[in-house]
Amino acid sequence: MTEANSGSDVLRPITIAGALDALGGGRQIMAGATWLMRAPVRGEAPPKAAVLIGSIPELQQISIGQDQVTLGAGVTHTKLAEALAGVPALKGLVTAASRAANPPIRAVATLGGNLCTAAFAAGDLSPQLLALDARVTYATKDGTQDMDMSQFLAARGNLSGGLLTRVRIPLGNFRSAHARLPLRKAGDYPVAIVSARMDQNESLMRRVRIAVGSVEATPRRWSGLEAALEGQPYDLKAIADSAGSLTNEFTGRDGVEADGWYRTKVLPALVRQVFEDLSMQFAERP
Amino acid sequence: MTMRLFINGEERSAAVHPLTPLVDVIRDELLLTGTKSVCREGFCGACTVHIDGVPTMSCLLPVIAAEGKAVTTIEGVGGPGNMNAVQHALEEHDVVQCGMCFPGMVMSMTAYMERRPAAPRADIKAAMSGNICRCTGYERIIDALLSIAAKEDTTA
Repeated sequence: MTEANSGSDVLRPITIAGALDALGGGRQIMAGATWLMRAPVRGEAPPKAAVLIGSIPELQQISIGQDQVTLGAGVTHTKLAEALAGVPALKGLVTAASRAANPPIRAVATLGGNLCTAAFAAGDLSPQLLALDARVTYATKDGTQDMDMSQFLAARGNLSGGLLTRVRIPLGNFRSAHARLPLRKAGDYPVAIVSARMDQNESLMRRVRIAVGSVEATPRRWSGLEAALEGQPYDLKAIADSAGSLTNEFTGRDGVEADGWYRTKVLPALVRQVFEDLSMQFAERP
Repeated sequence: MTMRLFINGEERSAAVHPLTPLVDVIRDELLLTGTKSVCREGFCGACTVHIDGVPTMSCLLPVIAAEGKAVTTIEGVGGPGNMNAVQHALEEHDVVQCGMCFPGMVMSMTAYMERRPAAPRADIKAAMSGNICRCTGYERIIDALLSIAAKEDTTA
């Protein structure tokens, strides 16, 4: 481990074990730093003690196998999008990573930071990883814990003394899509996000997964809409109609950029976008 | 603590807390005031500098993360007599307005146009999404940037 200053306020470990040893003493884990360094804008004290995890090689690894993709938690949005551009099933994740925030932020903001920041409701990667049935590994000094995304998102606000180390995404005969509505066309937080994946199955929709982000404080699956679409023939109007009749599953959060009612109101249009995209992807398949 | 930076080709040092935002070190300690500190939350891009050639919001980067890397500010990319292609284009098209966003615009677009000098309009717009101009001069800025490729075509 490298100590960055004599008071040990800021430490730069080079291994996951070193990072776990460094936690405590009021130190926060800092990866891309784009959330923590904004603390004063939120009326919070600026960070004074941190464990910088950008020098841990294991957290930067990307592995693309036949059945699974594994991403280190320190992978940036830019690197994620570049690395997965050739994986057709993960087009939705590539879209999420390459549209989030703006280019300089994407160059430093990490996968792990996006998933672990419970106070940030508008992250793009969480809903997409929910839809993709991703699993995360959370390491502590006592060992590692494997969780699905829903478990992790529910628990993350209460986790401490550990480090999210990697995300695993199963691959298969499916396609994924991601739609977001920022107020400006680019560079802004999205008002609402819809992520989806679906198996290729002739004319019927199978293993439909739909997740919604930025509408409520924490992203979650749209289970009612998933159930309504499962096994049905692909019909874009019927899909959008179903979404329109099920938006009451969500209670939109009010914010400076949009009222809660507006966030839920736009969901059917975003659902339509992702299913149009999925249909085009299946049509393009060799 | 003394932080050592390699900035615009020179070694500089500053006695600051390691988590001080880089923009504050650049402006307040090293007195390189071309880099602007505006929104301080990564939206406006006025504080953009290059870290090892990559456009980076210096308001969100703790200074310790820049140690050991090459930092370039607006003062380091060119000036009167040796402006780069982006600076030339912006001057020729008379698009510089209040000047608050422009250092960041130049930094972002210098890196992008070096990588993609013939980028189409839509791609340039997407690349500029981290730089906000409140004088609303976007279209003329993009016209100026598109002229770089056009000029290269005619001089090739």
